[in-house]
Amino acid sequence: MSVEVHPPGAPPVKTGRLRAWFYKRFPIEEFISDQLTGYYAPKNFNFWYYFGVLSLVVLVLQLFTGIFLTMFYKVGEATSFSSVEFIMREVDYGWLIRYLHSTGASAFFLVVYLHMFRALLYGSYKAPRELLWIIGMVVYLALMAEAFFGYVLPWGNMSYWAAQVIVNVFGTIPAIGPGLVEWIRGDYGIADATLNRFFALHVVAVPLALLLLVMLHLVALRRTGSSNPDGIEIKDHLGPDGHPIDGIPFHPYYTIKDTVGVGVFLVVFSIVVFFVPTFGGYLLEPANFEMANPLSTPPEITPSWYLTPYYAILRGIPNQRLGALLLLLAILAYFFLPWLDRSPVKSMRYKGWLSRTFLALFVIAFLGLIYAGQHGVEPIYVLIGRVCTVLYFAYFVLMPWYTRIERVKPAPDRLRFRAHA
Amino acid sequence: MADTGVVTDDEFVVDESRRKLLLTATAATGALGVAFAAAPFIASWTPSERAQALGLPTELDLAPLEAGQMTVTVWRKQPIYVVHRTADMVATLGNHQALLKDPQSSDSEQPAYAANRTRSRTPEYLVLVGTCTHLGCLPKAHFEPHDPEIGAYWPGGWLCPCHGSRFDLAGRVFEGSPASVNLRVPPYAFAGPRKLVIGVDQV
Amino acid sequence: MLDRLNVVPLARKTSRVVLAALLGCVLAVQANAASESASSPAAAATSASAADSSSAAASESSAPAEAFGSNWEGWRSGNSVADLDSLQRGARDFLNYCNGCHSLKYMRYSRIGQDLQIPPDLLQKDLVPATRKPTDYIQTPMPEQDAVAWFGKQPPDLSLMARERGTDYIYRFLTTFYVDTSRPTGANNLQLPTTAMPDVLSELEGLKRAVFRTEMVNGTKTQVFDHFEMVASGSLTREQYDGFVRDIVNFLDYVGEPAQAHRRALGVWVVLFLLVFTWIAYLLKKEYWKDVH
Repeated sequence: MSVEVHPPGAPPVKTGRLRAWFYKRFPIEEFISDQLTGYYAPKNFNFWYYFGVLSLVVLVLQLFTGIFLTMFYKVGEATSFSSVEFIMREVDYGWLIRYLHSTGASAFFLVVYLHMFRALLYGSYKAPRELLWIIGMVVYLALMAEAFFGYVLPWGNMSYWAAQVIVNVFGTIPAIGPGLVEWIRGDYGIADATLNRFFALHVVAVPLALLLLVMLHLVALRRTGSSNPDGIEIKDHLGPDGHPIDGIPFHPYYTIKDTVGVGVFLVVFSIVVFFVPTFGGYLLEPANFEMANPLSTPPEITPSWYLTPYYAILRGIPNQRLGALLLLLAILAYFFLPWLDRSPVKSMRYKGWLSRTFLALFVIAFLGLIYAGQHGVEPIYVLIGRVCTVLYFAYFVLMPWYTRIERVKPAPDRLRFRAHA
Repeated sequence: MADTGVVTDDEFVVDESRRKLLLTATAATGALGVAFAAAPFIASWTPSERAQALGLPTELDLAPLEAGQMTVTVWRKQPIYVVHRTADMVATLGNHQALLKDPQSSDSEQPAYAANRTRSRTPEYLVLVGTCTHLGCLPKAHFEPHDPEIGAYWPGGWLCPCHGSRFDLAGRVFEGSPASVNLRVPPYAFAGPRKLVIGVDQV
Repeated sequence: MLDRLNVVPLARKTSRVVLAALLGCVLAVQANAASESASSPAAAATSASAADSSSAAASESSAPAEAFGSNWEGWRSGNSVADLDSLQRGARDFLNYCNGCHSLKYMRYSRIGQDLQIPPDLLQKDLVPATRKPTDYIQTPMPEQDAVAWFGKQPPDLSLMARERGTDYIYRFLTTFYVDTSRPTGANNLQLPTTAMPDVLSELEGLKRAVFRTEMVNGTKTQVFDHFEMVASGSLTREQYDGFVRDIVNFLDYVGEPAQAHRRALGVWVVLFLLVFTWIAYLLKKEYWKDVH
């Protein structure tokens, strides 16, 4: 496969007969010129801009390894756990497929969180990209659901009890709560019925939804074009050929640059998969190597690290119902960001010290919530959880105020760019 | 074009050959990587350790099998026909060579020790894979010679109920059958005069 | 500032620091392992075939019994699944001493033979029971009903115990049994107090008693473990028993994840390949990005 670069304005290359036959019947040529060589992206993308493509890579990885796992996994209370051990021990390279999938789940969230952080850093959620941001948030919700359903499938003891706890959160909804919980479970406790429906949702329903949402996300991006670290719109300055002066064709420059990014990611990913797949119990909890046991709870029931921030928020409030409400608000808060941010500039490069402080505190709070949520209910962890909850919400709730009153630096007219070494 | 992010002014000349070299190197390494990455997934489809364990040789005690009788057992999920042939049955084997598609069994599948007149290690016992070589049904035993349903020429053998293929008492296919090759002989060996092990060439 | 990360020079500096740190870690871990195995009841593990030793171990002298084990919570298994000899001994010892009650239901005899390089005839003769095939899963002859009647619960399957509780836990469990006449089995355990498991290895280890001291904990007088004292010797010395336990723990570590050796070996090649690929892709990127000003 050769990469053909057509500098804009160059004479067309002679195409072979087979290609011509295909081009007449399928809009591939237009796709390449519209979405790749003709799509101009800002030239100053930095480290934070790798994580979109990495999210796509991990999505493909999870789909592929997931399909192969489904070939050997046998869903059912009596068979799920042992079929996972069958995959680990008796299927050729089954252990590798399993570890790719379990590490991939955490890698997905790591990459997505860094991708979202980029948006917070550079104001990528601001107009005209609010819809792009909202679709992305829906992707995030679908991802959390997918991870939750998937975690139940090995039917280990942590799978069982995490399912028990999270499903019970829905019981806090006034009036319909208890009935809803039984409806979700399909039984009087987490049982075979629950496992089976979570399997269907995890393998078919949510992946289809995710694929659709990711496509919508990319379509919305194509409409507005990508933002950049300076937060200015490159389309404001077009060259004589109609393309942004500060833009470069996505292909070949970013296809090649992203290949390097993918390479680096795969190195780190492979080190984890091959050398520390359990990662000290964060990727594969020890309690999950014991089969589900309704009569024995693990010493600490915690969801996986990527869901613990919200779990810590929930646990911090002594009132069950209020805790659940706060959990919901913590996730919904993201949706309102485009309208909470009243700053005249998009990028943190030009915002004032208040914005930077609150973002820094938000990051610390998020990490603190991950930390606190992973531990039990000892007073120290509850305290950390509560303090971090306050900082977490402060970022959002106070944003309309601090983004308006702070003194910002003027955003530049043209992109600030230093040629790569 | 001079104003776009991509520079094409005269001071800078694109080294096309270097670019081509690096592109080829990257693509080649990438393709190699994809091949390596695909290997474990393809390997995962090979029979698992459980399938291999269940696919071990099958043992069969021949003592209860009377002369002229057939028994059916299983090896690697396939039906295996074991026939205790009488001397008369064995004697019929040379009489109808012209009626067979492959009387010398040159096109059919059998181990070296079954590439003979009786298609077996010993004339007394015949071991066949009981799967019709046409489309896989189980042929039915019709050991009675001159069976009126089949014809006067019939020496005894099998008739497949699905599409009518006929096989003689060495599993060889008759002309006029939809099947084109003789019934397969699996690897087998004797662990004793009356103990059959199916699935290995030697015990 | 996070924003102005200039990745490449940073990556160069970081990788040097990371490599140095990794080297330091590896050296530290080696030193640590050496010192920790010294803090176990016996010093360096021996390679003597412990279970075969029928000769009486050095009997306790008539001097007052030696105190040991105060630091039991810091004991580590220190095992290495790369040590094939240890795994072979562990397999044999597990099947001889533990399989009577504990199954390894996800493990086949033949897989152990393959991975531990035990020839099939030796496997059949020494490890596989007469009534079973080498490809069978390793069950236990103990009937469940009897187990429940005798112990109150069925002894757990141990296929995944090393992944569930860790090798250090299993090591400490097997080395902290002590005589306790108040228990129905006559024995108790520091790692898992009131365990239903009897001290089945006492014939090898001998018997020891736990000496407690009284301490004020949170305002109440509590019995706190102080040290062990041997009261009767077994057929193994302390060093031999320690090696015996480590071999079994090592074996259980392997049983928890039989593919681990293959995983690590393959990983080296995968990472190396990816580093080469990334490097080539990086050269390609630098070449093309010369265009961009």
